[in-house]
Amino acid sequence: MARVIAIASGKGGTGKTTVTANLGIALARLGKKVLLIDADVAMANLSLILGMQSSPITLHDVLLGEAQVHDAVYDGPEGVKFIPSGLSLDNYKRVDSERLLGIVSQLNEQYDYILLDVAAGIEKNVLSALSASQETVLVTMPTSPAIADALKTKIVAQRLGSKVIGVVINFVMNENGEITKNDISSMLELPVYGSVPYDPEVRKSFMQEKVSPVIVRKPDCPASVELTKVASRLSGIKVGDSPSSSKKGFLAKLFSIFRKK
Amino acid sequence: MVIKILRSFAARVLDDDSTKKPHSQIEFLRDFLSKHKYIYTQDFEENLVVLKRKHLVDSFLVTNLDGSIVVSSEGNGHTEGIMGTAMLSYIKSELPDSESVLIKRNDSWFMLFPLEKKVFIVKAGSELSNIELRALSFELNSLLQTNKQTLEKKRVSQTA
Repeated sequence: MARVIAIASGKGGTGKTTVTANLGIALARLGKKVLLIDADVAMANLSLILGMQSSPITLHDVLLGEAQVHDAVYDGPEGVKFIPSGLSLDNYKRVDSERLLGIVSQLNEQYDYILLDVAAGIEKNVLSALSASQETVLVTMPTSPAIADALKTKIVAQRLGSKVIGVVINFVMNENGEITKNDISSMLELPVYGSVPYDPEVRKSFMQEKVSPVIVRKPDCPASVELTKVASRLSGIKVGDSPSSSKKGFLAKLFSIFRKK
Repeated sequence: MVIKILRSFAARVLDDDSTKKPHSQIEFLRDFLSKHKYIYTQDFEENLVVLKRKHLVDSFLVTNLDGSIVVSSEGNGHTEGIMGTAMLSYIKSELPDSESVLIKRNDSWFMLFPLEKKVFIVKAGSELSNIELRALSFELNSLLQTNKQTLEKKRVSQTA
């Protein structure tokens, strides 16, 4: 059974979609089967961040009952699977987001993690995504307006039966006026899974001929490193224990040859 | 270019950061969350009050399919119970795949949701979405089951 986790924030622009995409890839690197669902049916852009804009069948078609869910699953970077939402405004008005719960339960057995990229606000499609998840991770910024919206999202998620398990603080610049990690943790009464620093590499990842998530393009940049730690905390797997980390580099292989001798 | 580099250097060296932590807002937000703590107790009646606050509703009533009351947050509601179940039964007969019924009456909304051979009748100032109504019904149903088990345990221990 998959852990179905909604990535939500309440406020727009906190980096939910970026966190969802990169966290999904980081979990896949830890050997997990991961499905990402763009549950932001009105303002879908997870596909753009993953660099996969051409998807003939989308979540819209499935929610409209015009396609089977398995036909809307695509291969994403590094083994991640992905269900995009359509960009059509007409379809967005017609879809019944309440069907998301049924869609998620159809896919539950095939994955270890299903991450739902939830829209901003607390409108119907947000409620649908939160109620389709078992757990919620909040993404916020170290500023009071973002935290206020995260608080409201936490209350709504709990009302809908989704357990809010932690928070990711994004765009951390370590300025004096930022609300600290400890303050955020005590205000939200949640553990902090990671403080992702403001990193120009994240923005630069969208500005390439072939767009790819920062964790793919620059795996050693500060944001990628912290997002990998978030995945590690979320899954309970130490980064050093992951299957992918057992792949040795050239020098390590060379040393191991000498050690054997 | 040189000025830009010097400014950047000065900002780093002199820690030219004019921002300050908004302490009053932090306190305000802490206070906000403290008003939204919903802790259930051993007392079933108290839990009904918690549930009402949590889901922002005025009252709720659970009936069997014949209209007899299982529980009421206000301790009454026989008329609403019979009317609600009759109405739901009529709508279900006309539209068998309907999931919930929402009725606007005066300044209130009455919402009917069938679950496990019971009818959950909710009254609120604004309409709940089907998702919210279902979440409330499931939680209330779970409370009813827990209460039933507690009462059963008590009864067994008393007879023993």
